[in-house]
Amino acid sequence: MTPADALGALLGDDERASGSELDIFSVHNFEPGSVYRTKARMHGVKRTRVTPQAAEAKRLKDQAKIEAYVALQTEVMQRKQAKEYTPEALKRTSDLLDLNPEYYTVWNYRRHILLRGLFPSCAPAEIVNLLAADLRLTTAYLQIHPKVYWIWNHRMWCLENVPLGPGPDASDEPGSSAAATTGKEGREGWRNEFWKTELRMLEAMLDADPRNFHAWGYRRYVVRSLPASFTPKRTPQDELRYTQKKIEANFSNFSAWHLRTKLLGGLWEEMDPGEVKAAKDAEFELVTQALWTDPNDQSGWLYHRWLIGAAPPEDVLRREVKNIRELHETEPDSNWCMNALAHHCTLLSTMAASDEGEKLRLEARGLYERLEVVDADRKERYRDMAQRTLS
Amino acid sequence: MSKILDIPLHVSYIQNLDKKKDFGYHLTEHLRLNGVYWGLTALFIMSREDALDRAEMIHYVKRCWDEEAAGTFGAHPGHDGHILATLSAIQIMAMQDALDEVDTDRVVQFLLSLIRPDGAVAGDSFGETDTRFSYILIQCLTLLGRMDVLDRDIHRLAREAILENIRGSMNFDGGFGTEPGAESHGGQVWVCVAALALLDRLDVVDRDLLGAWLSERQLPNGGLNGRPEKLEDVCYSWWDVAALSILGRLHWINRDKLIAFIIGAQDLEGGGIADRPGDWVDVFHTVFGLAGLSLVGYPGLEDIDPLYCMPAKVIRRMGIEKGYTALSRMSST
Repeated sequence: MTPADALGALLGDDERASGSELDIFSVHNFEPGSVYRTKARMHGVKRTRVTPQAAEAKRLKDQAKIEAYVALQTEVMQRKQAKEYTPEALKRTSDLLDLNPEYYTVWNYRRHILLRGLFPSCAPAEIVNLLAADLRLTTAYLQIHPKVYWIWNHRMWCLENVPLGPGPDASDEPGSSAAATTGKEGREGWRNEFWKTELRMLEAMLDADPRNFHAWGYRRYVVRSLPASFTPKRTPQDELRYTQKKIEANFSNFSAWHLRTKLLGGLWEEMDPGEVKAAKDAEFELVTQALWTDPNDQSGWLYHRWLIGAAPPEDVLRREVKNIRELHETEPDSNWCMNALAHHCTLLSTMAASDEGEKLRLEARGLYERLEVVDADRKERYRDMAQRTLS
Repeated sequence: MSKILDIPLHVSYIQNLDKKKDFGYHLTEHLRLNGVYWGLTALFIMSREDALDRAEMIHYVKRCWDEEAAGTFGAHPGHDGHILATLSAIQIMAMQDALDEVDTDRVVQFLLSLIRPDGAVAGDSFGETDTRFSYILIQCLTLLGRMDVLDRDIHRLAREAILENIRGSMNFDGGFGTEPGAESHGGQVWVCVAALALLDRLDVVDRDLLGAWLSERQLPNGGLNGRPEKLEDVCYSWWDVAALSILGRLHWINRDKLIAFIIGAQDLEGGGIADRPGDWVDVFHTVFGLAGLSLVGYPGLEDIDPLYCMPAKVIRRMGIEKGYTALSRMSST
């Protein structure tokens, strides 16, 4: 039984149907980006016309389901009010979260049950089992609700609470040679296992939806917080390879391009200028390939603009202007290509001698005028940008 | 397809939200207070703020107070206090001119407890941080008239720490993400730009660069998306468009196409606006669709303030208006 089936079985047939709509939603992958939490069900669900009679019939049919839900909710809230931190209470929060994993108050209550009721009388190994169970629970929820903040939050909370062990006592002197050699791995054994699971889970989540920004954010957290003894070590180079894999699978994956800017920015700070230049040239090669593959894909253009930067060496800028011009001749209708050319001509004009500078600004203005026509939705922007080349 | 906004129908849709107690209604209890804010703001935009009972609403907001866990507002009576619900409560009370009924000191104390040493702001005591929460904290303090507390030395000067964190969330494309390192996203762009505007620190932003990025969110069908190479959604008619307005670049998109897209997402039988034409409606997309329409000058609507997503007349009454550029209101479509 897949988690979706399991949830379907819990919810009954109607909700199962809406569950499959949510699956469609998750494929399309749009999110509210809201200040507020919104239910996944708010997005991308096709409207079907229901008569008032049909709606009323459904409401009556749902009545039993609603009553069961409200009874469960009332019970859980009463237990919470009574500060009941028992295994039975934990079980009831699972029952309620199965039906509504966005109920943040219940997630809070669940954490209090664990922290205040169960953990204090648990051996570390039992705490590990409880946390592993919560990770399994959230994995099942994420299959159906990959965009629910509260589920990701709970997962992060679980990781933060994995105890040290099962190796030598956690109170071992960290500086002792035993701890530094054999002891350390043992002390972080559980943590290493948890983090390994997280990396695997994230791989699957980002395969299913390579633009899910919740998953990318959680991945940043997991990589940043890897236990010191985790093997194999994860270097920024490994992360870079991961972004490359994602980009090669789909040049439009701007999330991966974005991460690349962050990783390279850090790496280049630690390299000598010659190495940086070689590394940048390799990036130019990669992005040029993306641009020629699909000149209308904005991901590559945004990356290209970052790579050139605000104050590039003149020779690099000249080379890139020449390259974009060539692409523009092949793809005269690509807006992004024209935009990039206009921008970089303007930039180059600030470095060139006055004659050539004027020629470059003229070229930029010509491109903006053309853009006003072919990309009329943004014509006011092009007018403003053309104006800027005069000052 | 009608080109007209059916105001009476949307008013009645909002008035009836609380009457249709289906399974979905129960499943969204954790959004109830936000829902009241969305509904009331939508009514204000349509000049029908009297359509819901004021006394009843104020009473409900007060019942959402969570004395025990946090000393702030939760999403519904019995729900834990959280910064998300807190903003909705404060906004509703401001719109109803009832802020004197809020325990301001307690709310301020709660808000200050959320500021982390690196300037990130958490949503509650469990500590999840997000630039959305930074914005909410700043808006709450502004509405409560208590921005002075940011000049306190919490870890260090709170104002500077928060600013630095927002700045650290800015990317090469001019946009902002959920935290330093995160990808730019229309929703996060709005919260960060609005927060900077409230802090009088818009100098941090490259208006042309970010304005261009935002204008590229508009797709040929008139709707806007939140990130490159994604689908359009009515709620970005607020996030992206309000950010453009604050940056003075609202004229950089096609207004007529945006209006047609939002109008097309109405449900002309039951009322309300959906994420895109043909989908189920909800009050969240209804308010952000209306707010977007108001900002681009759709005729017959009340002005909305893009820094707050609240009626401009309320913000003016409170004397906390800052600069922005909206498009002039059309006399007819």
